[in-house]
Amino acid sequence: MARAARNRTGLAFALPALALFALFAVYPMLRVVYLSLFDYNLTSPGRYVGLENYRFLIHDARFHAAFGASIFYVVAAYVPAVLLALLIALGLNTRMRGSGLVRLLYFAPVATSWVAVSVIWRLVLHPEGALNRTLGLHVNWLSSSGSARWAVALTAVWKEVGFFVIIFLAGLQNVPRELHEAASLDGAGAVTRLRYITLPLIKPVTAVVAVMAVIRGFQSFSAQVVLTDGSFGTEVVNLFIYKTAFANARMGRASAVAVMMFALLALVTLAQLRVFRRTDR
Amino acid sequence: MTRALRALIVATAALVGITACGSSNDNASKGGAENVKLTFWTHTHPPMIELNKKLISEYEAKHPNVKIAYEQIPNTEFATKMLTALSNGSGPDIINMDDVALRGEYIPKNLLAPMDAAAASKAEAAYVPGTLDGAKGSDGKLYGLPTEFNATAFAINKKHFEDAGLDPSKPPATWAEVATMGEKLVAAGHEGFNFLYLHSGWYTQQLQTLLNETGGSILTPDGTKSALAQPQSVQALQIWNDLIRKDKVGNADTASREATVPFDDFASGRRSMTMIYPWAVAQLKADNPDVYKQMEVVPLPQVDPAKPTGRWYGYYMAVNKASKHQAEAWKFIQFVTSEHDRWLTDVNFVQPVVGWENSPAAKADVPFLNVWAKAYSEGKFDEVAPHYSEIQDEIKSAVERTIFDGQAPAASLQEASKAIDQILAG
Repeated sequence: MARAARNRTGLAFALPALALFALFAVYPMLRVVYLSLFDYNLTSPGRYVGLENYRFLIHDARFHAAFGASIFYVVAAYVPAVLLALLIALGLNTRMRGSGLVRLLYFAPVATSWVAVSVIWRLVLHPEGALNRTLGLHVNWLSSSGSARWAVALTAVWKEVGFFVIIFLAGLQNVPRELHEAASLDGAGAVTRLRYITLPLIKPVTAVVAVMAVIRGFQSFSAQVVLTDGSFGTEVVNLFIYKTAFANARMGRASAVAVMMFALLALVTLAQLRVFRRTDR
Repeated sequence: MTRALRALIVATAALVGITACGSSNDNASKGGAENVKLTFWTHTHPPMIELNKKLISEYEAKHPNVKIAYEQIPNTEFATKMLTALSNGSGPDIINMDDVALRGEYIPKNLLAPMDAAAASKAEAAYVPGTLDGAKGSDGKLYGLPTEFNATAFAINKKHFEDAGLDPSKPPATWAEVATMGEKLVAAGHEGFNFLYLHSGWYTQQLQTLLNETGGSILTPDGTKSALAQPQSVQALQIWNDLIRKDKVGNADTASREATVPFDDFASGRRSMTMIYPWAVAQLKADNPDVYKQMEVVPLPQVDPAKPTGRWYGYYMAVNKASKHQAEAWKFIQFVTSEHDRWLTDVNFVQPVVGWENSPAAKADVPFLNVWAKAYSEGKFDEVAPHYSEIQDEIKSAVERTIFDGQAPAASLQEASKAIDQILAG
């Protein structure tokens, strides 16, 4: 009886938050699923078309290209960012003087907005910009299909490394020092300790990082808008959704893309978590 | 009971107060006319904004019951914001929009209120025949009055010409001459000529200008298919390609891509030749008076100088069909668009009323008047089609594939045609 009363009280406290969540998160998501079944141009009443929007997208070259651009971006930006973050976190996981300041410096790009970072990198990546001048190159980073995708990925690596460094550092600081000391006494070198102690013990953190990397990669939008406006093979799925919905007024089709991406990301996330759980056993 | 009575008195007094405030807000001020608040949106162009603000305060002074909330939206976001606002009922009463958007999106989607027949017929008589077509629907009704009407010409930097040993009084008459003169200007340390690489609308309008000259077209005459793969259309992109990639008169990779200052490369004195529109002259003068002094506006180079042609486009003020104050909105539009001389003198915007080029304001304040008058006599409006913004995206991609990635114009336009056919199909 007392427990039931406690539950009711708990529910009463949670209710406002749940109501807001339902209103601002659940309802819009359900609405998007509903809209994906309509031909709706924002200014006239929608016309029910069933699965036509999905059928169109399956054969649409521009959507295929956007999906390919997103996959490229996730792989080219987030694989190096995560690996680099791990290396940096390992280096920073010491009690050396000034490590706090170094951590802060790595985190600075994370605290800066994507738009500001992209504006800075647009200057850096200009044909007469800092990158070409420093390296003595003549690459048209943002105006060629051969290089624009890499340029956007490079910007993302710079921006995102700090975010993953902080997460890895939090995981590394939970690894007991005694284990490292005992292994050192047994003659284990740094690489062996990394392989058999550090990496297994930070596996839950790595799983979180992997899931977040994929989600953040697929959420990308601002960098592509500011750097290339989606030209030269950089129109990622989110930018495609935005243009389809608001510039081209095909709200139903844009909703269908959003639903497909939601389903895909949910599946990828589940698969990632399952892989990490399996290797945990 | 006493407390309840006191509360009732306070509540009644408050209600009376609120009602009084409400009535002073909604009803007549001095003259008994209903108070009206109009919202008005335009894109950003500093001289235009300044004049609009002056005209608004003058109109408000003459009509104390009217208040106008004026908002400017950056060019790159204008179409998206307008469409979204109209969809949720928060759109402005008065819209200032280009003719392509009006004819391609707003009129066919029934978003605008037509002018009443009597006023429309009066306007038809006042404006140069054909120039109001940019705001006409397929129903023949008129949906807007022009604040600016543009033709295309060409600007050269006379000092650069002298640097290169060229005679500024003999500007290029053909695109072939743009190439030869451009090479000499490059050799003299300038960027000879370039197109503008801004947003998809700019890419499309420049290609359309060349298409008008080559006899090509974006769409077939019935508007159901792409005509970009046809030889005359390919020739248009070939001209663009040859100038930039073969003759190398300009560098597309280093060109400014800032849409709020489209003519920045010419205004900064880096570029020697550019396509230009009347409104840009005032902006250029404000941005760099030194370069303005070196500038000469000349006729647009032609594929065939014996058959000159150009491109027209205009911005029109129109009324949102959902506006509750349509009559007031039209009155304001008629006031703003009746100030022809001030649009000419303050902003260099031409309103194509009959005889505009002979007005004292035009003669006194429109630089290069003869060139503009000629350009206004030989242009045509852009093609439009359903889902035109998607078609513009495909054109931008096609130009970029050719100019930046080196794909042959024919192959690039073939690819664009396929995509456009799919867009037009649904």
